[in-house]
Amino acid sequence: MTDRVTTSELKQMLLHAARCLRSQAEELSRLDSAAGDGDHGTTMLRVAEQFEAAVNDPQSQNPAALLSTCGWKVLSVDGGASSALFGTFFKGMGEGAGEGDPDCAALAEILGSGLSSILKQTRARTGDKTMIDALEPAVAAVGKTAAAGDPIAVALELAASAAREGADGTKALIARYGRAKFLGERTLGHADAGATSVALIFQGFREGLKAGRETNHG
Amino acid sequence: MRMKKFINEPRRIVPELLEGMALAFPDKITLAGEGIVARAQPKSADKVRVVTLGGSGHEPGLSGFVGKGMLDYSVAGEIFAAPGAPKVLDTLRMACAGGEKALLVVLNHAGDVLSANIAMEAAARENLNAVMVLTHEDISGGPNPDDRRGLVGFLPVYKVAGAAAEEGASLEQCRAIAERIQQNMRTLAVAVRTATHPSTGNPIFDLGEDEMEIGMGQHGEAGTGRLQLKSADETAAIMLAMLLQDLSASAGDELLVLLNGAGATTLMELYIVFRRVSQILREKGIRLVRSAVGEFITTQEQAGFQMMIARMDKEMIRLWDAPADTPFFSKV
Repeated sequence: MTDRVTTSELKQMLLHAARCLRSQAEELSRLDSAAGDGDHGTTMLRVAEQFEAAVNDPQSQNPAALLSTCGWKVLSVDGGASSALFGTFFKGMGEGAGEGDPDCAALAEILGSGLSSILKQTRARTGDKTMIDALEPAVAAVGKTAAAGDPIAVALELAASAAREGADGTKALIARYGRAKFLGERTLGHADAGATSVALIFQGFREGLKAGRETNHG
Repeated sequence: MRMKKFINEPRRIVPELLEGMALAFPDKITLAGEGIVARAQPKSADKVRVVTLGGSGHEPGLSGFVGKGMLDYSVAGEIFAAPGAPKVLDTLRMACAGGEKALLVVLNHAGDVLSANIAMEAAARENLNAVMVLTHEDISGGPNPDDRRGLVGFLPVYKVAGAAAEEGASLEQCRAIAERIQQNMRTLAVAVRTATHPSTGNPIFDLGEDEMEIGMGQHGEAGTGRLQLKSADETAAIMLAMLLQDLSASAGDELLVLLNGAGATTLMELYIVFRRVSQILREKGIRLVRSAVGEFITTQEQAGFQMMIARMDKEMIRLWDAPADTPFFSKV
């Protein structure tokens, strides 16, 4: 049987992403204080609530509807650039998804669609010390796993590690984009808050898939 | 240090402040939805609607300039954070409901621009007749216009575009006059003391007791240069010289000068600075034709100010002088 992510597993992934963000909200605000105005954690708490609202929305019957609903709900958070970009990511994933359960290759395409939506809205690229530094390697990891024919659980393991590495790597970078760029070298030594949020979301995706499968098969 | 602010539930700050503002100026503004401030009496249907968006915590900006002769709608976001695209789209739908046209004025900040772009894409799909003008006049961002933030220059843009719209100018004429003043204005900010973020209770930046920072943004984003604290006259001279140079202003030019207090800087200080600005302009043979001194966009109890200059022409002066009646800016 082809390895696929079901809608209920996708919902578990979103719920766990919300849980991971919530557990680190204070740390996210602390990181943001080093470069921004210190409200990233507050914003991501609101984003997390919208993940849950999307999961509970009666429209969220299939992957495309769930991810699009999630995107528009996150966009509705008045959270500045962060929520606009995360909303754009999920809305873009929704546009790349269909009504059927995706296999690993389709999941890679869905994530890729989310990433390209973000890249259309921002000029930030890898190395600019933004969320892109965590997101791009995470999406690429799923693509590589799909190409190798490995299971989705492995893809999400690798994506979570790649996002974490990307986020940690931003410590060595100088901000070149977003509000933080005005601080220049003062941003060295601090991980980017947006990239850290991406790492938390992918950690949640990994844990959510695992939890979803344990409930179903355990 | 513990935050000392008169607030209730931190998450309720924005709805409560907007509710209070609308109740305080019932003849001028009304709430048209969650976070959407509208004119109490809409202008006639054939006239262009002027719409803006931006974060809260900067009162009176931006919603304080909704009213006759300036804005028709302001979309307010969370504290220091842009409103989401769906709310901006809802406002554009409201503004264009009867086939009207809308000019969306956006201050160049990443979140505001993102929300505006996402909303404008959706508005275009719905065939709404809206165009966007971006203000980016903060010279501390460097020579690239994309890197220049939109600061207090929004005020003259709302004023001249709003006056043109009130007179019945077309959407293209409104866009053109907004663009003309935006290209002829420059702003520079200075900060001497930080503010507390009302949601987190934390200071938004650190600055030494005897330091000032030129180029500070209105969210407390750090600027380009930290200096030893200087006198009003010295600070005025440093900032004005940078602005005049960037605008290539010279003898014979006619300028609008605007000083905007960041929240904790007193009018006393602003007038002392303005005095020196006026003297320097006179020495250089540059005519100070219009001025405004006060608090138009604040950053809580941040101490510092923004200095804005705009090169004016006859048309812009006429529109600046046209009648306006908003909570925080009026002309009779």
